[in-house]
Formats: sequence, structure tokens, C-alpha cells
Amino acid sequence: MTIYLSIILFLPAAAGLLAMFLPRRMAGWTLVGGSLLALAYSIVMLARFKAGGGMQFITNDNWISELGIRYSLGVDGLNLFLILLTTLLWVPASIASALRDWDRPRLFAFFLGLGETAVLGAFIAQDLALFVVFFDLMLVPFYFLVGMWGGEDRVYATTKLVIYTLVGSLLMLAGAVALGVMATPDGGHISFSLTTLAQHPLSGGSQYWIFLLFSAAFLVKAPAFPLHGWMPDAYREAPLPVILVFSAVVSKVGVYGFLRIVLPVLPQASVHFQELMLAIAVVSILYGSVLAFSQDEPRLVLGYSSIAQLGFILLGIFSLDPKGGQGAVMQMLNHGLVTAPLFLIIGYLAIRAEGRESLDWMGGMALRAPVLAGVFLIVALATLAMPGSANFIGELYILFGTFQSKIVYGLVASTGVVLASVYMIRFFQRAMHNPVGPHVESRDLALGPELGVIAPLVLIILALGVYPNFLLHRINAFAPTTNQALVALKR
Amino acid sequence: MSATAWAWLVVAFPLAGTIVISLGWRAIPGRLPGWIASAMILGSFVCSVLATVKLQDVAPGARHASSTLFDYAHSAGLNIGLSIYVDPLSLFMAMVVSGVSFLIHVYSVSYMTSDRGFNRYFAYLNYFVFTMLLLVLAGNIIILIVGWAGVGTASYILISFWYRRTTATAAGIKAFVMNVIGDAALVIAAFLLWKNAGHHVSYAGIFAGSKTHFSHNQGTLIAACLLLTVGAFAKSAQLPLHTWLPDAMEGPTPVSALIHAATMVTAGVYLIARFHPLYEQAPTAANITAGIAAATLFFAATCALAVTDLKRIIAYSTISQIGYMMVGVSTGGYDGGLFHLMTHAFFKALLFMGAGSVIGAMAGIQDIDRMGGFRKSMRFTYITFLIGALALAGMVPFSGWFSKDEILGFDVHRGGYSLILAIVGFAGALLTAFYSFRMVFRIFHGDAVPEAESLERGELFHGEHVNPMTGEHEDTDVGFPGAEHHIAERELPMKFAMGILAVLAAIGGIVAVPGVTHWLRNFLDPSFADSRFVHTQPTDTASWIGLVIGAGIALAGITTAYVCYLRQPGTTARLIARFPFLHRLFVNRWYFDELYDAVFVRPAATMGRFGHYVIERGFVQGTLVGGATRIVGAGTSIARALESGYVRAYAVLMLVGFGGLGLYFLLQAAF
Amino acid sequence: MTTLHLIAVVKAPVIDYKGISPLFAIAGGAVIVFLAALIRGRFAQRVLVPFLTVGALGAAIGLTIWNWHTGPSRPIIEGALSTDALALGLSLLFYISGLATVAFAWRSIALRESGTGEFFGLMLGSIAGMNILASSENLVTLFVGIELLSIPLYVMCASEVRRATSLEAGLKYLVIGSVGSATLLYGLALIYGATGATGFNQINNAIGAGVNITDPLLLTGIALATAGLAFKASVAPFHAWTPDVYEGAPTPVTAFMAVATKTAAFAIILRLFDQALVTVQVQWAPALAALAVITIIVGNAGAIAQSSLKRMLAWSGVAQAGYMLAGVVVGTKLGLQATAFYLAVYLFMNLAAFGVVIARERVSEHGDGIKSLEGLGSASPLLAWPMTIAMLSLAGFPATAGFIGKFYLISATVDGNWAWLGVMIVVGSMMSLVYYLRVIAVMWMNPLRIELPGRPRRAAREVRPVAGWSPEADPTAQPEVLLVTLVMAAATLFFGIVPSPLFHLAHDVGSSLATLL
Repeated sequence: MTIYLSIILFLPAAAGLLAMFLPRRMAGWTLVGGSLLALAYSIVMLARFKAGGGMQFITNDNWISELGIRYSLGVDGLNLFLILLTTLLWVPASIASALRDWDRPRLFAFFLGLGETAVLGAFIAQDLALFVVFFDLMLVPFYFLVGMWGGEDRVYATTKLVIYTLVGSLLMLAGAVALGVMATPDGGHISFSLTTLAQHPLSGGSQYWIFLLFSAAFLVKAPAFPLHGWMPDAYREAPLPVILVFSAVVSKVGVYGFLRIVLPVLPQASVHFQELMLAIAVVSILYGSVLAFSQDEPRLVLGYSSIAQLGFILLGIFSLDPKGGQGAVMQMLNHGLVTAPLFLIIGYLAIRAEGRESLDWMGGMALRAPVLAGVFLIVALATLAMPGSANFIGELYILFGTFQSKIVYGLVASTGVVLASVYMIRFFQRAMHNPVGPHVESRDLALGPELGVIAPLVLIILALGVYPNFLLHRINAFAPTTNQALVALKR
Repeated sequence: MSATAWAWLVVAFPLAGTIVISLGWRAIPGRLPGWIASAMILGSFVCSVLATVKLQDVAPGARHASSTLFDYAHSAGLNIGLSIYVDPLSLFMAMVVSGVSFLIHVYSVSYMTSDRGFNRYFAYLNYFVFTMLLLVLAGNIIILIVGWAGVGTASYILISFWYRRTTATAAGIKAFVMNVIGDAALVIAAFLLWKNAGHHVSYAGIFAGSKTHFSHNQGTLIAACLLLTVGAFAKSAQLPLHTWLPDAMEGPTPVSALIHAATMVTAGVYLIARFHPLYEQAPTAANITAGIAAATLFFAATCALAVTDLKRIIAYSTISQIGYMMVGVSTGGYDGGLFHLMTHAFFKALLFMGAGSVIGAMAGIQDIDRMGGFRKSMRFTYITFLIGALALAGMVPFSGWFSKDEILGFDVHRGGYSLILAIVGFAGALLTAFYSFRMVFRIFHGDAVPEAESLERGELFHGEHVNPMTGEHEDTDVGFPGAEHHIAERELPMKFAMGILAVLAAIGGIVAVPGVTHWLRNFLDPSFADSRFVHTQPTDTASWIGLVIGAGIALAGITTAYVCYLRQPGTTARLIARFPFLHRLFVNRWYFDELYDAVFVRPAATMGRFGHYVIERGFVQGTLVGGATRIVGAGTSIARALESGYVRAYAVLMLVGFGGLGLYFLLQAAF
Repeated sequence: MTTLHLIAVVKAPVIDYKGISPLFAIAGGAVIVFLAALIRGRFAQRVLVPFLTVGALGAAIGLTIWNWHTGPSRPIIEGALSTDALALGLSLLFYISGLATVAFAWRSIALRESGTGEFFGLMLGSIAGMNILASSENLVTLFVGIELLSIPLYVMCASEVRRATSLEAGLKYLVIGSVGSATLLYGLALIYGATGATGFNQINNAIGAGVNITDPLLLTGIALATAGLAFKASVAPFHAWTPDVYEGAPTPVTAFMAVATKTAAFAIILRLFDQALVTVQVQWAPALAALAVITIIVGNAGAIAQSSLKRMLAWSGVAQAGYMLAGVVVGTKLGLQATAFYLAVYLFMNLAAFGVVIARERVSEHGDGIKSLEGLGSASPLLAWPMTIAMLSLAGFPATAGFIGKFYLISATVDGNWAWLGVMIVVGSMMSLVYYLRVIAVMWMNPLRIELPGRPRRAAREVRPVAGWSPEADPTAQPEVLLVTLVMAAATLFFGIVPSPLFHLAHDVGSSLATLL
């Protein structure tokens, strides 16, 4: 049986579309069904996947031949688990939103489904133009999701989010088109296929400015300091299920772009700008961590911490060392896997603190909510990359890779490890320990949905902590050719 | 079954205990979780003994084995297996850890009875033992780091076990962060070794690689060793990373006994003993380590002189004693160092248990100024505590006497730099003897305090619950600390544990009596066969001379304490009046906390605020976002300004357009 | 004798009646409509005349398709008009926008006040002018076309005779338009003076052969012609009239102008620069590039913070003209195709947007103010969706035709070594987000309602969003407008996902100018 990626890709959107025409109360659950199907199918894909077997389950058809845009999909060691992460985390997100009583639930379901499809598309696409299409399309559903169901200042937040990120991705659009046109030999038919582009590298000069255009898009998406201006508002205003997937999954698309497009297609520029990107990464790590432990809103603690975490991922990528790359991909997954439950936990905490999402209003909940506390502790420790978690292995590989290529940055970055422990433990303590907060009503996780949504994620975290090689064995961050090119250039 | 198979079981038992207790936290009734936990630890103790027996069958040269369960992480040229390594050293540690842990578990069953966190407590405690055993049995440096960080976590959750106390949570985060600093150092060390010693993470591989890849005392190797030292010092609370240990006393007393006295804090000693080939190849690093350790042992002893909180006195004494072990293992006196590690585990655990019993009698109060005269009312505690104190003081013929003086004897024998360290050690020994009996006399002698009297009348004093540090009230209805306290006299399990430890503390020395028994050395030798110092051992006569000197010092210290506190009470007050500066220095622990607060904590907070208000609000939001907005806004207002709606205005605009175009084309024409 | 002599002397031009048939259909249609309008009676006014108009346009469309051919142009009236894919293709766009205008105008006050026949007749006349313009072969027919296009429009702008602003719009357009025409005329005259030819191909050859490409006479001519055409295409800085006129004119007329007039202007710009003056591209390209950049910046800057949708669309139209101008600048076949493609896309998305504006301004107390869309998303999604799609497409989001159009234009600029112009297009789109997204936000993201997690499940149930909802908000009250809107939005979406049909069209158009490589 072969795997049809198009099914995984469009199933969620189809479910969302179906939900549009069903009764209100069924809409949410229709999407849940869709995302579960997508998850199941992608698990089958994982089972069929051959580790180290290069690009697999390829679909490659013409879409817009006039522009040389092809509908080509494929899975390899780089995006395999990112696809799974997407399909996995959309399940809790859709369940959480199905449980919550939205106004206009059909529309919500539609946009959430469309969002999953767009994200999956960005991960699966093997054609630069197709990638750009999905990358920009991603913004539409999230624009509505934040803008229609968000908090007080949602319109401001969502407009800022979309403009900020689209400024980046429009620059990337220009860069992508330029890349395709310039890379085609005169008279040849224009093509955006990533493999083709990798075979005709551009001259240094044009590589450089195109690299900068791409980096703009990806760094804003991540987000990396100082391009994270949209982050605080978006994190504060977005509805929880939305920010859950946005922070856990969508933020990875940017850094993924570096591995999928920039390094293979613009190796020369990547080497040329290595130090710049490493510097950005290190600054993001330190800045994100420092701000994370001076926040009182849990969402922002996670927001800034993810700036730091994505700084680590960026660090691994631009160590331009296989170990760093492996670690980076590993961290993309781990960060997603811990961020999702953390956002769920924030939701649970807020419910128990009269809906107030502020650490000052929480505290002391561990007493009557031991299960919640335990789950929270596990996730928090995983987040700060406690040895024994898969996150530690990811960070270990990133650090080893960075030490190998540019040890100074590695040493500075490893202070980020310490800072991470500060803000995560602070977060845990101020919510769970210390005297009970003024209006806290400590209940433990209800055995029903509350526990049901978060438990599988925690189990996965634990399982990966015991056997991280399950990921590492299949991950392949750098295609061999890319690796050779980089090695050759670094000399 | 092979030795490694038994070793796997050693690790497996406590893990199983953790899972069972934490999953059955609602189901398992009463004290049962405590007994389950204890049984598990007993199981792993038995298994470690069996593993040792198995290992003893083979020839000394071949007394090491490793076994890998599966590839933990294997990619991009970095191959880490989930493996354990079994040799006399690791098994020695395993036995000490599991043995002492078992006794402390039993003790805890009574001590924590009335605490609502009972089940949680034992889940944590088993988890700690699991990680600790993983640490000592780990087969490569990465798994070692996993165990290493694991014990750090366990230490954190147990320090802040009574998490309603803000002091406890603060102490917890402090300990956690300092331990993470150590972890980070170990990771960097692991990389340096991996990169330069032939891409190995397993011990055997690293040592073999370092022999060939590193020259003697090579810079990189020294760096790696010093990073290991940083890790070891963070865990073992040596200067300058010691400040967390005194605060760690916020945890329940059995936790202090187990983690912060007997086992975890000695992991650093194990680490250096484990990596001794590297240290022997990089003497500079070894000497630095030994020097700081010596400084630590003296510094901590001085603090123990002045501090009045019972548990903190013992904590500083722990720091000091670990200093001895560090000096031992980093100068090559491995047997001595590990010997002292063992005996210290016995008598220090014993002392903490005694302290716990006394604190129980004092209804939670830990200040020795408030104590006194428990001699009659708490016979059992008194005797056992006394044994512990004698062992700590290094009095004849208690275990501490042999072990401490074996270290010092070795260093004297080695001479040179080590001789200086040994002298510091002897000086420290004097202080040690003094402060140990300061405790004994202040707590058990003198006239009885009300609590003691009520106990003599046969009722256990129950004061209201206050946080011993801040004095703020605690609502016992939330469950912890327990509604009532427990003392050894009334609890069989506590008696049992303390009794056994007392015996061990008393006679533990027999495993290495110079000239008589060499059991310990013979047992450990296979692990240190490759050591340069394997034959630099003092002659038996020399050792005995050392022992005599040690005994003399101990006696001197004890007598001084006797004079100061019993013969002429108030001597100390006069001393304090005479040297107020010294006293302030000691009481304030040489101002280390204040220093760190000023150098790290407050600056970090300031940076946070600065980042938030200046960079985030000012630069990122203000300049980048606001700036862009302002530019666009300006453009907009210009465009709108031109939209006056008057045709004449448009005409002007057009003329500009004409002008521009005309000019351009005419210029084109001109050139 | 003399008559015979005369006949012998005057030689009637060869006329290809098949080729000219669409023009006949339109012009004839205009005459018939004028006549039919004389019939009094509601039926004639409400049904017959619109029906005839539609018929004329439909016939023209049919004939155009019948005439369809690729490759070099064929003469219709020798030396005056010719037909090729460029002319035919763009004419189709005129007819479509004409049809849409009929639907838009059917209920409009303008129609009632100015009289159905006059309105539709003038419109057909204007379309005839566009047709001539698109297929003109020389400078004279060019000018005739421009005037025939413009004069009816002046009247139509003022057709809401009882509304001052409408009259003002008409007057302004007249005044400024005449200045434009005059400038254009001077320019054409100078070009003729320089090259001694009026036919586009002859001019091209002349420049190739005798005339020096730095001849001041020629260049001044080009400068003035450029300015004149810039008026019609509302290219900055000759755009100033656009917002006022667009706002003042009856909305159906605005829609017609925004789409058809712009298309016509670009038709002739393409012809003039890519056919007649292509050899002097080195001379005019930088000038046009400069104009394009200015237009993009000014247009987008102006559109931000407009409270009137019509003004906003006017400004955005200016900006879009800038994008398309970039396609002209490169002066390559790809550029021509991209521009033609974008013109088609531009038609779809703008008509969709205008349809919604018309539907709303008739029922909402806010008129064409952006507030008239408040809460539309929940009040009448049938209108909100087309508007949303139109805005996303104008902003260039993927899965809409606008994205493909931009993609095409950018690749054309890069391919013609004008990469930085491509970047300018992108920069423009960034600015445009501000005002396009604002419209969407108004429709979907009001009224504010905050939900805290943990809100009991029943809470939000009975809350029904009602802001901006009014009984007449029911879009089906104006089925014809709704239909056009939906069709256009659907087309925008469809060609965003399956653009190949439009590409074939663009390809044929591209084949029509042999002068381009």
C-alpha cells in the first residue's frame, strides 16, 4: 500500500469544510474526527517510512506549468516527524476547541482545519513556489482565528501578527521568484523544484540578497530577536487552542524552511552568514530566557521561552554540522510536544483561578491537584531539557554541533540551559507551590476530557525520554549532498 | 545471572517502587507505601550485594563488565548507549547508597507518618534512589549526566517538599539552578572528551582515548577535568557552589540525612574517583580541585562553629567532611576518600536522624540555643547521637577516626603540596571535634528546657506549627508538616534504623585497620589498578602514628568543647565579645549568599526589567514596530494632504508630473 | 462623369466586416438603446433597454470569440484599426465589465434620474471607444478612441443629477480629463512630427531606420503622451482626480471606470510602448519605472486610513496601476502577458468588491463608509465572503488570482532584469495589507466579545452577533448584484487555484505583438 500524501494534506481542510455545513454542535467534533483520521493515516505513513530511504511517497504533478510551479510532495527524514507533530497536536487543539462553546463554531472548525492543511502543506511541499503558497496561506486561517475568537485587543493583535509575518513572507515571495527565474538556464523551462534548484546554485552575490529575504521571512515566523514584535500581543490575545498549535507547530515552519530550502539551495550564503545567524540565535536564547523569567503572564513566559528555544534550534541549524542539524530537528519536535501540554495546563490553571491568567493569582494548587502538579512538573522538566528527556538529547546534539563548529557561541548558549531552568521552575512554583493564591479553587484534573487530552502527550514525552533514538534514528536533517556542499564550502 | 543482570535489577527496583507508589497514590492505604518503598530499596541492596559476589568470582584483573540495553541516541557520529558499567567502585557506591537509603526509608516510615504527603514523599524518595543508582552504575558519561541531573531533580522536589513554605521553595530553586550549572559543565566536559579522545562516551573508551590523544597535563584535558570538578563541586556543595546545601535543610530531616549527607552530595567524590585516570594525567586540575576542597573543609568547619541552627550545623559539617573526601580522591588517596565516604554516610545519617528525633521533641524548633538537657529524657537518641558525634570527631576507635586519618596519612606520606593540604585537614579536624561536641553538650547536657522536662514527664511537647526559619505560622490542616512529631524513643522503625547505623558508625572502621585488615583496599584495587599512586601507601607504622595524632587532635577538640560549654559556660560569649568580627564572619557564612545575591540574583532581575521596559517596549515595540507605523502614517498624511479636492491643487501636481517627465526625456535627448 | 471621376479618385478603404463586427454590435447596440429609450412605459425602461444592452454586449462577446485568433494583427480598416489577441482579449474585459455595470446600475438612482436609455447608451458608446482604442492602428484612431471613451464617461459621472457631489465629479473629470487629452494630443503630434508617420508599425520602423532615438522632438512627444495616458490610467502623479471622481460618481459608474477605463488605458499603453516605441525602450523604461514606483507608494499610502470604501478602492486602484505599469516597463513578451493576466484578475476582484459596496450602500445608513460593512460576516455571509476574497486577492494572498497575478508580474520583472521593481511590488503589497485587512476585520471581527476559558458551556449560546445587521441587509434583496458579486468572487478563487485558462488567454495576447522578444 502506498501512502497518498494528498490525503493527509487535504483531509483536515475537507473536514473543516464539511463542518461548515453541519449543525453547530456537530461542527467541532467533525473537525476532531478529521484530525484523528489525518493522525491515523500519518501514523501508517510513519510505519511504512524507511529510515534513511531518502525522499518517499512522492507525488509530483504539474500545477501551473506556465510559472513552473509543480504540485510535488514528499516525505524524508527532515519533515517526517514534523508532519506527525502537526497531525498529532491538531487533535488536542481541535478537541479543546470542540469542548469550548464558541460563537460561530462552524467557521472556527473550518479555519482550524484549513490551518492544519496549510501547515502540513508547508511541511510536505517539495517545490519552492508551492512551499511559498502554503507558507502564506497559513496566515489566512490564523488571521481569522485570532481576530474573531481572541481577547480584548484581538483585532490589533491579529493585524499586527499578519502584517508582521507577511512582510517577511512577501519578501520571501520576491526572493523565491527571483531564485527560480535566475536559476533557470536561458531558454530552459523555469522550475521551482527544490532538487533542481539545489543542482544549479546561484552566484555568490545573488545568493546573498536572496538569503536575506528568506531569513527575514523565517526569522519573523520563528520568532527570533528582534523580529518578535508581534509575539506578545498574539500570544496574549489568541484563543488557547489556536496559540497552542501556533506556538507548538507553526513556529517550526520558519526554522524548517532554513533546513529545507536555505541550506540546500543557498549553501554559499549560509556559510557566509553563519556567524550572523549564530549571533541572532544566541541573542534570542539569552534575551528570551531573561524576559521569560520576568513575566507574570504564563502565556508570555511560554512566548519568550519559545523565543529562546527556537534560538537553540537556529543555533543547531547554523552550526552547519550534522549533529547540530539532527539536534535542531529533534528540538523542533520536542518543543512542540512540551509546548502543547503547557498551553493546555495554562488553560486548566486559568479555569482554577477564576479565568485570571496571571501568576500572581495562582499558587499552591499542587495540594488538591496532585495529578495536575505531577503532569506539570514532568512537562516543565522536559521543557528545560532535563537530562532523561528527549529535549536533553536534542539540546545535547545542538550543543555538540555548535561546539564542533563555533565553540564560543556554544559556550554562551549553554548559559541558556541554566536560565531555562530558572524560568521554568519559577513558572512551576508560582503556579503550583507557595501559599494558595487569593481566588484559587484547587481541583484536580477531571478524569474526562481534561486528563484525556493531556495524558497521551505526557506519555509520549516520557516514552521519547526513555528511547529518544526512535526519533534520531529516522531524522535526517541534512541531505548528504547538502552536507558535502557545506563541508566543501567551509574549507 | 551475571553481575550486570543483577546490577540492572539494582536500578529497576526503586524505579518500580516509584511507578507503583505514584500510580497507586490513592489506592495504597496507610503506611503501606512506606513499606513498599523500603522493600524496594532492600531489594536493590540485596541485588547489589549479589552483583558484588558475582563479580568477586572472576580474577581481579577482569572485575569489570558493562551491558547495554539499547541505543539511547545514535546518530551523526555520536553513539550513546543506555548502558551500565559494573566494577568494584560502582558496586561499592551502589551498596553504600542502597544500604543507607534502606535504613533511612525505614526511619521515614515513622518520621513522616502524620504527614499528608506520605505517599508523595516515598514516591520521590524511591525516585531519588533510582537516579542515584543510575548515576553510580552508569556505563557512559551521558547516562551518568542523566542520573546526575536526576538526583538534582529529586533533591529539588524533596527540598521543596513542604512547598507551602516560601523558604522551602526558594531553597529548592536555588539548589536546582546550582545543580544545573554543574550539569551544563559536565555536558561541556563530555564534549571536550568526546571530541579530543577519539569520539567515545563510554568510560573505557574515554580513558583509552585520553592515554593516546592527550599529552601529559595538556590544556584541553585540564579544561575538561576542571569542568568535571565544577560539576562535582556543584553537586557536593564545595566552594564556591556550596550555598545551596545549608538552605537545602528546608527539606524533611530524613531527606537531609539521605540526600544532603549520606548519598547525593558524595556523588562528586564518586565522579572524581571514576575519572581518576584523567586527573592523574592532568595533575594541575587535580591539585586545583584538592586545594579548593581543602579550603572548603576549613571554611565549612568555621561556619559550623558559629551557626546555631541544628540542621545547618550538620550541613556545614557535611560540606567540610566532603572536603576531606575530595582532598583524598583528588590527591590519589582513593581508598581513603571512599572509605571516608562510607563511614561519613553512616555517622552523618545517624546524626541527622538524631537531630530529627530532637527536633521532633522540640516540636519543630531547630535552634540549639533553645535546646538543652535532653540527656535523661532521650536516652536512645543521646547515645546514638553521641556515637555519631564521636565518629565525626574522629575519636578512637570510631569509624571516622580510621577513615579521616587514612586520607590525611596518605597526603602526609605523599608530601609536598599534599602535605599542606594534610595540615589544613588536621586543623579542620580540631574544629570538627569542637563543633560536634558543641552540638552534643548544647543539646543533651546543661539544664533541661521545658520541652525536655515535659518529655521527662512522659508527654511529647506539641507547640504550634511555625516555619523554623521565618517563624510564620503554618496551617497544619493542609497536611504538612505532619500534625504531630515523632521521636526515636517511641518509634520502633526509627530505633531500628538509628541502632544499625550507630553500630556501623562505631565499628565501621574495621574494614581498613592499618596493618590488620585491608578488605576495602583489596576490594577496590581492581578499579584503581591503573593508578600511579597504587603503591604510594604509607607504611602501617606511619599510618598508626597518623592515627595517634588524629586521636590527639580529636581529644583536644572535645576537651575544649567540654571546657567551653560545661566546665565554664559563657566562655564562648567572651570569645565572641573578643573577636566580634570573626563571629560575624562565621555566622554569616563568610557572606557568600550576600555576595551571590549582589552579583548574580539582583543583576539578573534588573536585566529582566531592563529587557522588558527598555528593549522590549522601547526598541522592539517602539522603534521597530512604532517606527514602521510612523513612516507609513507620515506617507499617508502626505498623500491625504495632496487630496485637497481643489482642481487647482491637482493642476499643480500635474505640472510637477509634466515637469519631471519632460525634464527626464530632454536630459535623455541631451546625452 | 465627375462622379465617376470622383469614384475613381477616392478609393474606399478595404474593410474586414467580420473583424469589425463586435464594434458594430456595440455601436449599433448603442443606437438601438437610445431609440428604444424613447418608448415610454415601465417595461421598456426597466426591462427592454437593459435587455437590449445586455444583448448587445452578449453579441459582442460572441463575435469576439468568433473572431479570436493569435499571432500578428490583421487589419480591419486598413491602417486605422486592426485586430489581434491583445485587442480581442482586452475587449472581452470591457464587455464583461459592461455586463456587470448593467447589473449594478439596474436599481441605481442614477438610472432613474438620468434615464435608462441615456445611461446604457452612453455606456455602450464608451465601450465602443474602448474597443476602438484597443484595436487602434495609428495615432489618429488612438485619439478618437480616447475621446469616444471619455466623453460619455464625463456625462455618466454626473448622471445622478440631483446629487451635488456627482455633478462635481463629472465636472472635475471633464476638466482634468480634457487637460489629459490635450496633453496626449500634443504628444502624439510631436511623435508624428518626429517620425513623419502615424501608424504604429511605421513609427517603429521609422525610429529603427532614420530617426535618432535621442531626437528631442520624439522624446518630448513621448513625455507628453506618457503624461496623457497616465491621466487615463490614473498613474501618480496624474492620479489626483481619481479619488474625488470615484467617490463622487454613482457607484456603478465608479465600478465601470475603475475596471474598464483602466483596462482600456493599459491596452493603449501596451500598444504604444510595446509596439510603436519599443525600439526606444531604453529611453522610456526608466521613466515608466519611476512612475510605477511613485504610483505604488502614493496609491498605497493614500488608501490607508480612508473611511470611504469607494475612495479606498480608488486609491488601491492607483496602486494596482503601479503594479501593472511594472509589467509594461520590462517591455518583454512575458511582461505583456503578465500585465494582460493581471488586468483580467484585477477585473474580477474589483467587480466583486464594488458589488458588495453597491449592495451595502443602498441599505446601510453609513453609505459607502467602511462602517457599512460592520458585522457583515455574521449578518450576511453571502456578501462578506466575496468581499473577503476580493480583499485577500487584492492583497495578494495565495489561493486567490491576485497571488498568481503578482507572482507572474514579479517573475516578469526579474526575468527582464528589473528585479528591484519586483521588490517594489512586494513592498507595495506590504503597505496595502493595512487597509485591505482593515475591511476584513470590520466585517468579521466586530462586535467584540471576550470569552474566558472556563465560561460555562451555555454562556455564548444565545449571543447572536447583530451589529450592522438591518432587515434589508438580506443580500437576496438585490439578486442581480449578488449574482455578479458571487460570480466574480468565484472567478477570483477559481483562477487562484486553476489559473491555466487565464494563462492561455495571456499567452495568446502575448503572441500578438511581434515586436517583442
